[in-house]
Amino acid sequence: MSRADLASGQVIRMSLLFRVQHLVLTVLLLILAVTGFSLMYHDNALAQAIIRLEGGVHNRGIVHRIAAVLLMANVAHHLFYMLLSREGKREFQDLIIGRRDIDDFLQSLRYNIGAAAEYPLFGKYGYKEKFQYWGASVGTVLISITGFMLWAEEFSMRLFPKFVLDLALVVHGYQGLLAFVILFFWHLYNVHLHPSVFPMNPSWITGKVSAEWLRREHPLEYEKLKEEGLL
Amino acid sequence: MRRYFLAAVVFFLGAGLLPGPAREAGAAISLEKCTLCHGKPEFRKLLVDGHIRELYVTADSLKGSVHEKKACTDCHFDVAEIPHRERPKRVACTHCHFKGNKEGAPQSDNVLAYFDSAHGQAIARGNPKAPLCQDCHGSHGINKAKTADSKVSRFHVAETCGRCHMEIYAQYKTSIHGVMLAKGIGDVPSCPGCHGEHRIFKHTDPQSSVFATKVSEQCSKCHSSIAIMSKFGIDVEPAATYKESFHGVASQFGSRTVANCSSCHGIHDIRPPDDPLSMVNPKNVPATCGKCHPGASANFAVGKMHVDAKKKDSGIIYWTATFFKWLTIGTMLALIVHIFLDMYGRTRRLRGEQ
Repeated sequence: MSRADLASGQVIRMSLLFRVQHLVLTVLLLILAVTGFSLMYHDNALAQAIIRLEGGVHNRGIVHRIAAVLLMANVAHHLFYMLLSREGKREFQDLIIGRRDIDDFLQSLRYNIGAAAEYPLFGKYGYKEKFQYWGASVGTVLISITGFMLWAEEFSMRLFPKFVLDLALVVHGYQGLLAFVILFFWHLYNVHLHPSVFPMNPSWITGKVSAEWLRREHPLEYEKLKEEGLL
Repeated sequence: MRRYFLAAVVFFLGAGLLPGPAREAGAAISLEKCTLCHGKPEFRKLLVDGHIRELYVTADSLKGSVHEKKACTDCHFDVAEIPHRERPKRVACTHCHFKGNKEGAPQSDNVLAYFDSAHGQAIARGNPKAPLCQDCHGSHGINKAKTADSKVSRFHVAETCGRCHMEIYAQYKTSIHGVMLAKGIGDVPSCPGCHGEHRIFKHTDPQSSVFATKVSEQCSKCHSSIAIMSKFGIDVEPAATYKESFHGVASQFGSRTVANCSSCHGIHDIRPPDDPLSMVNPKNVPATCGKCHPGASANFAVGKMHVDAKKKDSGIIYWTATFFKWLTIGTMLALIVHIFLDMYGRTRRLRGEQ
């Protein structure tokens, strides 16, 4: 954190590498969603227009698989970085879901309906961020499994009865839909529509948030940074 | 021998009756004159290639046909002299059957359609074996397709096509469609049912009704009709599930290499799945899939091929799809509830801070 940042009350929340990984993830998920849902809802006129735009079903498949491979590479890189680098290890510690997060979640629910007096205090990542993070990571790995089964259909046909492939197709589509629903109703709210960040939490571009925002939304992290003398 | 015979005829008729160049062609030659020669059962011609052309025609030849009231020279209008100095040309039906004709001959665009078709194009290129109108509709015994004994009627047309397309006809006859047709069931398709009547094109021609991307549409004309299929206890589901499958979707978007109905079920040799010769008999399924997906195992053939995830009898696929459907709906509702609770809680917090 530079002096200028501190003077203007800015705190770094996402390092450059994470911002790049996040941007890559964003672009690839959008490509995968557009190419995937246009096939899943091929009866829809818009979907048909999109498929034609992509150059037919064959090319659509190629685009989808290129994006999928890049996404898996992105996730793999992220995994290694989280497990091996100093910054990654620290972030990983912050992201582990513990008993505390479940308690936080339940307490926030109780507070929101008026049954508890105190809203839980979050660290760098509260239950909202952790749910999003693990949902995206585990979801990507799971959807890759069915994706690979469908991609290597000749290999799969050697091993499995047909219903396994039918199942893989159904599951792959619904996994995508589920991921989309979560992104739409969870991520969109938390980083765009939530009154404290509306219209957008800028940290995914600038990497920074205001210290004041951190104090309100992630007070434990704020305290920690203060103790470390970084604020 | 023939020369002698013709000479005798000429003698019999007398030189005065021979039509001269200035003489009007057509009307003058009556049926009686034609049958003088053509009315003899042994009147035939031995062709160079050894074939025999029967030239036997009597007053009865046109009887019962649509041209009952026509005279020989109405069609064979180029015959102006007896004996014919030159071999009379093949009859051109378009002499009468054109749009706006005054004869009252039925008029349609079928003639034009024929000229565009594979057969018409072959004729235009000079293929002597390609069929003209009379090769399918018959020469003298022409009847409307609706007449039972017409050469192009529902039950006879396959045989007519089979005169040239022999191997295909043999395959068709033993297929389920051919067998049913032989039993007198008119619902099954004969050749024109899939290929069309006059607009027949090669299956590699995009205009063809059996072009790769159009096959499923062609089969679905009957196989998605409950009215027709219920008569035979056949499920209409496969027509719909194909459209939803990878194969079907790719086909709808113009893929020519993806499997259509006949890639798996056969083309002219379609047989019911319990027939051991059927391409979709469980025993043959691995080989059938293997045409495109080499190495498809016997294991792969187990279970239902045409699966609809929305139907209960699809078993685990239905239950998985249903589970995911409600999981997605449930997640969506839970997230929406969470958003509203969170917003409500936040206003409380803000109030508390002030």
